Amino acid sequence: MSALSPLQEAVVVGDWDKAAELTTQEVKSGRQPQEIIGQQLQPAMDVVGRKFSDGEYFLPDMLMAGRAMARAMEVLKPLLSDSPVSSLGKVVIGTVKGDVHDIGKNMVIMFLKGTGFEVTDLGLDIPDEKFVQAVREEKPDILGMSALLTTTMPNLSSTIKALQAAGLRQNVKVVIGGAPVTQDYADQVGADAYGHDAGQAAQICRTLLQS
Amino acid sequence: MAMTQKQMILAAARGERLDRLPFGARIDTWYNYNKAHDTLPEKYKGWSQTDILRDLGAGAQYRFYSVVKEEFRDMEVTETSDPPLTRTEFRTPLGSVYKAMRFNPFEGAWIGYESEKPFKSEKDYPLINYVLEHTVPVNNFEAYDKVCEEVGEDGLVMTGVRLWSAPQRVMREIMGYETFFYELMDHPTQVERLIEAAKDLERRHYEVALKSGLELFNVCANWSDDIHTPVFRKYFVPWLREVTDLLHSHGKLAMAHIDGENRRLIPLLPETNIDVWEAWTPSPMTSMTNAEIKQAIGDGGTIWGGIPATLFEPNHSDEEFEDYVINHLFREIAPGYRFIVGMGDNLPFDGKIERVRRVVELIDQFGKLPIQV
Repeated sequence: MSALSPLQEAVVVGDWDKAAELTTQEVKSGRQPQEIIGQQLQPAMDVVGRKFSDGEYFLPDMLMAGRAMARAMEVLKPLLSDSPVSSLGKVVIGTVKGDVHDIGKNMVIMFLKGTGFEVTDLGLDIPDEKFVQAVREEKPDILGMSALLTTTMPNLSSTIKALQAAGLRQNVKVVIGGAPVTQDYADQVGADAYGHDAGQAAQICRTLLQS
Repeated sequence: MAMTQKQMILAAARGERLDRLPFGARIDTWYNYNKAHDTLPEKYKGWSQTDILRDLGAGAQYRFYSVVKEEFRDMEVTETSDPPLTRTEFRTPLGSVYKAMRFNPFEGAWIGYESEKPFKSEKDYPLINYVLEHTVPVNNFEAYDKVCEEVGEDGLVMTGVRLWSAPQRVMREIMGYETFFYELMDHPTQVERLIEAAKDLERRHYEVALKSGLELFNVCANWSDDIHTPVFRKYFVPWLREVTDLLHSHGKLAMAHIDGENRRLIPLLPETNIDVWEAWTPSPMTSMTNAEIKQAIGDGGTIWGGIPATLFEPNHSDEEFEDYVINHLFREIAPGYRFIVGMGDNLPFDGKIERVRRVVELIDQFGKLPIQV
């Protein structure tokens, strides 16, 4: 923790009032919003992601850190209208048809947004055709899908097949996750990657777009 | 005379020494899905799930929602069905709240999932408190006795007073995990008042439920580390101790359904005095092995589970399955006392039903206690 700046530390420990206050101070000292995001806030969320992957952080820790990040962004938002932050990429994400469990998906979104991705959340219980439509219309770099139940897990596969049938599969990387999903399963259904947890999923999205 | 499946499961739950591993198998997802799609194996078409388990030689783990039903006084409760959603509205003198449940029998579920929670914002606190305070538990014994009759001595009907304990009812059913944690950060006093109202209601549930014939009460379900250790310690442990003390004083046993990633919660489990840790789900579905849970619980409780559900799926070979059961279940839990074999938590809809029979055969071969694999 000692290597972190005070702002980064405020985000990592989820002290949202302090995160907003320190972000305001950074702005007043003349730092550019993009610089604050890229050099302070996004690396702080990387730390949060690693702590989650390592089993040190759990859902409430992540929610607190996410809120601290959001409060810092509220300070910066009015200053960004003339110079939008460059996005790492665009992700469309949703929970597959039949599944109304969205905690995992929501955590992935928090990390994606926190680390610089533009995210469209389709929500839960999303049928194949809605995923296909979103890929066609929004042209994301990555499609993220989650399933918590063994009964809904096959819908990950059917959506990938629907993308193939629509001629869109080669246009988008597909990342899947959820409790019963494994790397083997991801390989078997033809996904590009599998995210074991939220922090890792965001990391994988970055790696996929760099490759 | 040989013990029945039910007797073996209950004896293991009480911590008695048996001469063979009991097996209580749960197949309702597989059964409901394939029955709805008319894809049950030809032999089993028209059979009940208990009869299928009898045929396979396994004890039944039959799900039943609750031995207590809830009725409501001094408010109007309306249900509107728009399959797969059912919207329930509670019209109280203080205003209205509603929730939506999603249930689709074609997906294999045995109960609905909350697709919209009743708590939407801070203004709902007094309304939901009112609903909890004006909820009246009544017995559901006739329906419970009917399923007990169906299962007989060939397994156990798994139930309690609804699925969640009082704090988890607020956390999961009323608010949802994320909202709960945000509310606990922002309005802790109101959250705690809601938990107290849920506890009062649950005490009234138990007054009714203790008159049923149920021996082993499910007191809490779907645990995972998402509950968060400090929250579990502060809100769950004292309540679960109160519940287990009450059950034990009436000669009953307590059980929790722990089918998630629980590495952080495991050290706290013995503090609750719960007797049975059911739906135990080992790696690769969680990060913990059977050896680790056995070491963590010791002789302080009975573990029920041990075979990850995904292992029943056809992408795993029969050899992989057998290797897991012999080397990662039997070997790791040896000598095997205080353990009931089961799946964590349910046979998947596309699972291979014959592997349930194979578990019985492997228990015949290697499951004599103490295990000597």
